[in-house]
Amino acid sequence: MSDPTSMLPDQHPRRSLAWRVWAASTQSLAVKSEGLVVQQAGENDSAMAERCGLIDLTVLERTGFRGRQAAEHLESLDLPVPDAPNRAAVGTQGETVLRLSARELWVLSAAEDDGQHVRRMANQPLPTKDCYALYCQHSHAWLVLAGRYRAAVMAKLCGVDLRESAFPVGHIAQTSVARSNAIVVHHQWGRQPVFSLFCDSASADYLWEALLDAMAEFEGGPVGLAALV
Amino acid sequence: MSTHQRLKAPMGLLIDREKTISFEFEGATVTGQAGDTLASALAANGHWLLSRSFKYHRPRGPLTMAGQDANTLIQLPDEPNVLADRKAAAAGLQVSGQNYSGSLRDDKDARLDWFGRFMPVGFYYRTFFRPLGSWKYWEKLIRRKAGLGRVNLEVRPDYCDKVYRFHDVVVVGAGPAGLQAALTAADGGADVLLVDENPLAGGALSYHRFDSEGNLADSVRTRLIDDVKAHPRIELLLNATCNGWFLDNYLPVIQGNRMYKVRARECILATGSFEQLVVFRNNDLPGIMLCSAAQRLMKWYGIAPGQRAVVLTGNDDGYHTALDLQDQGVTVQAIVDLRPAAEAADIRHIATEKGLTVLSGSTVYEALADRKRQHLRQVDVRAITGRGTVADTSRLIDCDLLCMGSGYMPAYQLACQAGARLDYREERAEFSLTGLPPHLHLAGSVNGIHDLDTVLADGRRAAGSVLQSLGLSDAVAEAVTCSRRVNVDWPIFPHPRGKDFVDLDEDLQSKDLVNATKLGYRDIQLVKRFSTVGMGPSQGRHSALPTARLVAAATDRTVSETGVTTARPPFVPERLEVLAGRGFDPYRRTAMHHRHVELGARMVPAGVWQRPSYYGLADRRDACIHAESEQVRQRVGLIDVSTLGGIEVRGPDAAEFINRVYTFGFLKQPIGRTRYAIYTNEQGVVIDDGVACRIAENHFYVTATTTGVDRVYRDMLKWNAQWRLDIDIANVTSAFAAVNLAGPLSRQILARLCDDLDLSAEGFPYLAYREGTVAGIPARLLRVGFVGELGYEIHVPALYGEALWDAFMSAGEPEELRPFGVETQRLLRLEKGHIIIGQDTDGMSHPGELSLDWAINRKKPFFLGSRSVDIVMARPQTRRLVGFTLPAGTPKPEEGHLVLRGDHISGHVTSCEYSPTVGSIIGLAYVGTDQAEPGQTVHIRVDGGSEVTATVCTLPFFDPDNKRQEL
Repeated sequence: MSDPTSMLPDQHPRRSLAWRVWAASTQSLAVKSEGLVVQQAGENDSAMAERCGLIDLTVLERTGFRGRQAAEHLESLDLPVPDAPNRAAVGTQGETVLRLSARELWVLSAAEDDGQHVRRMANQPLPTKDCYALYCQHSHAWLVLAGRYRAAVMAKLCGVDLRESAFPVGHIAQTSVARSNAIVVHHQWGRQPVFSLFCDSASADYLWEALLDAMAEFEGGPVGLAALV
Repeated sequence: MSTHQRLKAPMGLLIDREKTISFEFEGATVTGQAGDTLASALAANGHWLLSRSFKYHRPRGPLTMAGQDANTLIQLPDEPNVLADRKAAAAGLQVSGQNYSGSLRDDKDARLDWFGRFMPVGFYYRTFFRPLGSWKYWEKLIRRKAGLGRVNLEVRPDYCDKVYRFHDVVVVGAGPAGLQAALTAADGGADVLLVDENPLAGGALSYHRFDSEGNLADSVRTRLIDDVKAHPRIELLLNATCNGWFLDNYLPVIQGNRMYKVRARECILATGSFEQLVVFRNNDLPGIMLCSAAQRLMKWYGIAPGQRAVVLTGNDDGYHTALDLQDQGVTVQAIVDLRPAAEAADIRHIATEKGLTVLSGSTVYEALADRKRQHLRQVDVRAITGRGTVADTSRLIDCDLLCMGSGYMPAYQLACQAGARLDYREERAEFSLTGLPPHLHLAGSVNGIHDLDTVLADGRRAAGSVLQSLGLSDAVAEAVTCSRRVNVDWPIFPHPRGKDFVDLDEDLQSKDLVNATKLGYRDIQLVKRFSTVGMGPSQGRHSALPTARLVAAATDRTVSETGVTTARPPFVPERLEVLAGRGFDPYRRTAMHHRHVELGARMVPAGVWQRPSYYGLADRRDACIHAESEQVRQRVGLIDVSTLGGIEVRGPDAAEFINRVYTFGFLKQPIGRTRYAIYTNEQGVVIDDGVACRIAENHFYVTATTTGVDRVYRDMLKWNAQWRLDIDIANVTSAFAAVNLAGPLSRQILARLCDDLDLSAEGFPYLAYREGTVAGIPARLLRVGFVGELGYEIHVPALYGEALWDAFMSAGEPEELRPFGVETQRLLRLEKGHIIIGQDTDGMSHPGELSLDWAINRKKPFFLGSRSVDIVMARPQTRRLVGFTLPAGTPKPEEGHLVLRGDHISGHVTSCEYSPTVGSIIGLAYVGTDQAEPGQTVHIRVDGGSEVTATVCTLPFFDPDNKRQEL
């Protein structure tokens, strides 16, 4: 059914639920994990990403585990496990490990690869008990907000202090963004620190629009992967 | 209007002399300078009449020039009651006065002033209630006359938003105390936000004269502001009003169209104090203003407030005002000092050296208006003979400006909102604030400190306390005291002919307040409610102190015992659009949402989701639904059911958990089978239903209703926190997209996309569960029969949802597959007699009423609500949900229409539609148990009050043997 060379998102089986809000104004797209992400949004992507840029990475690979054995499972896969909930750590292959609670961990694919490490990891057998795979690949959209105004943008949408001084790289906030539940992760992804926002996948286009609206004041807008990686 | 000459720099701190702007006021063009407010631009053009008073329509002009009074309320095309001394003048603005009949200058309603004596306080309450019924007449008249500006109901709100901020310290007020406190706190390592409602920092330093030479204020102000602006840990917000104090220093700061929601670990209120007026006859005439207003006009806007001035004062500050006026070429006719000569010897000496005339121990007893009664012409000055009394001998002084000031009232509002108390210090005739909560501090004149040196010291002291509280300093801040007295104890001089205003907002005279006490309203709160004192836009800034004094005297109590009325947020009027901010209205869309829209679906909300109601034009609703229904019954249809809730329960105790939660038995449910699941709460009420799929021995996937899943999930977590079963519960609603492929041709379409499952009736029977791939997408397949046809519910990971839809619509072309919407689904399930939780149930529905006894396992020891279900079902039953039919063409009952038993109500309709398949109107309704036998008739009251007679029938209405869904 899918044509891997097509540059129309709806010719690929895996689609972000928000693809229509960014596809029309995009200069080029790249195939990633059975879907498409924006490679370049416009001529000024780099400057925009330095100020505040937004990209939808929903189709990129991620996986998650929950249970008493979840941390041990990740350690057995040579991934770092943050020592406290609401902290993130980066593995040697560039994957980001999020500890959302004592027993819940997610793994995000690295900026540089095509998600093959996470895919391989997701296919590893689970411990026989107390470790359950999560559906975060599909339950949550993954939006990335980059740029020096990222905390100022979020201050218009979120009641948590996300300034660098209070929310440094490696921290996670599970909170409400524009009145919608979201997980905000401050981490290094690609060339720069970013906020990764994980919201209900069905609310992706709502949150995309809310973020763009908040970014307008800072002359921010959509950017492509090339500006971040 | 012609532009008057502005005063030379350094007067006019706020204006740009190179840039002129023009706007319309009352139809005439007014030219001002950039940086002017509307009021200052008008004043610069000699236009002092700005508004008409609320009750008597008296002419009013600038009083404070600080947005602290109602005298400057004007009308903009889209906004009434705008403060002209706050609103920046802008090119092209259309400005007019308000609350007049005729014109602002010639207000026909000004004649009400003559009848003031017939309209005492409480006049409305005591007059218009009789004769009985007369209020209906008076109400129209009074409502027409009451109110100030005109609201434009067509106006579209501006874009407004909110921003959260977090700071170690917030300093409210960028006067000398606030600037100094901010600097000291920031120097100590704190991150400081400094907010001020004015367009420039400095507070009184920007307009007030702190020494007889007039040099001190500017030098101190320049130094402090330069230091603040250069400080990396201070952010200065101007034109920003902290409009309230909420628990834990949560501060709403409004700047333009934005509200900052600020969290401060420590807060310093350096809000200053309000200069107080003197109460005498006609103290409201244009040309009479507070001393600080005259100084603001000169220093901020470069405007001489008059040509010939009299200064009426109760402290040394009035002398400084007189010196300022003299410096700017205004003839100061006299300084009238309310104090005896002995109390002001030093400053009096300075004034006389400058050639000024000082009349000590005197007051203005009456102000006299010009011929048109629109501006000050003369004042009647008399010697004070006692508290509120004057000599008979008068001295008339010609003047067009009277600057007055009887002392100060701390800007107490924010502190009192935080729980502080106001205590009156008799020896200083001044209120002071005590009882602040932790982490809230005062600095400067709001703290009763008035000398500049001590004000600065108090700013340092407050910051020191803050640093100590933040753990940034060990030093203990030393208390600062100020011995300077600034208030006179009785600046109230009642006049036999009245018009000696205490509250200019509400046109309240001194006798009004005294009379209120005579009528028995002794408590200050009752006085406020009876007289409306302090209820106007200035919220008692200038009336609270004289009111407290008057009520205290009239009720023979102290001012402390009398107190002031409660201060509540907001501090200044705020626009609703700013409070609302940018509206966030989250919605959820399924993966297939845009495909529905492209196919012409009418979308309807389902909780926060949007679902297709039916496909087609709105005016063809019934036809569309009937066509979709026929398509499903005759051929095949596809509906998006992604909004259905999904919950995963995994772990060794999964079956035990499901067995406890739902009413049926699940311990022995075979793997690969589904089972209907009813969820009852602890009261035995049915609150949700779904299908439980057993995927593996220790793995269940349970569906729930669209709007019920969050509650079910929450309840599950709560119960297992008690039960501590070894399971994992996950709400996977958003993780899966789902469709229901329904109709006799559905199997052959599915077979085209799914080659790894045996789809035969034997291989995949009714109520079975399978996992396979559909169009190459990993899928969970459920054979269900909600609409009563051969059908498959196919659940796939959400990101593949749209691809799945596309695959079915393409694969189904030979069978002419069509989508169908929620309304059609409701009709189809109604034909099968299936209930919808929430539509056919209410907060009392137990399984017995719903004929769901079959779905309760009586052999298991427990399920949620089991005991209550037993109790409510053992009671005598009063109603039952039944099916009914009506002949086609009968007026169709709607949901909620009443079922009658004689004259009494026995139930109501929950669902009703015309069914083309059945050929009649069919529905579900609660009826009395004595009406529930099939074949009985019940009366239903429909729209218009008529009744129709329906026949109770056995469910389902269609395919009673369920052969179609089990194909």
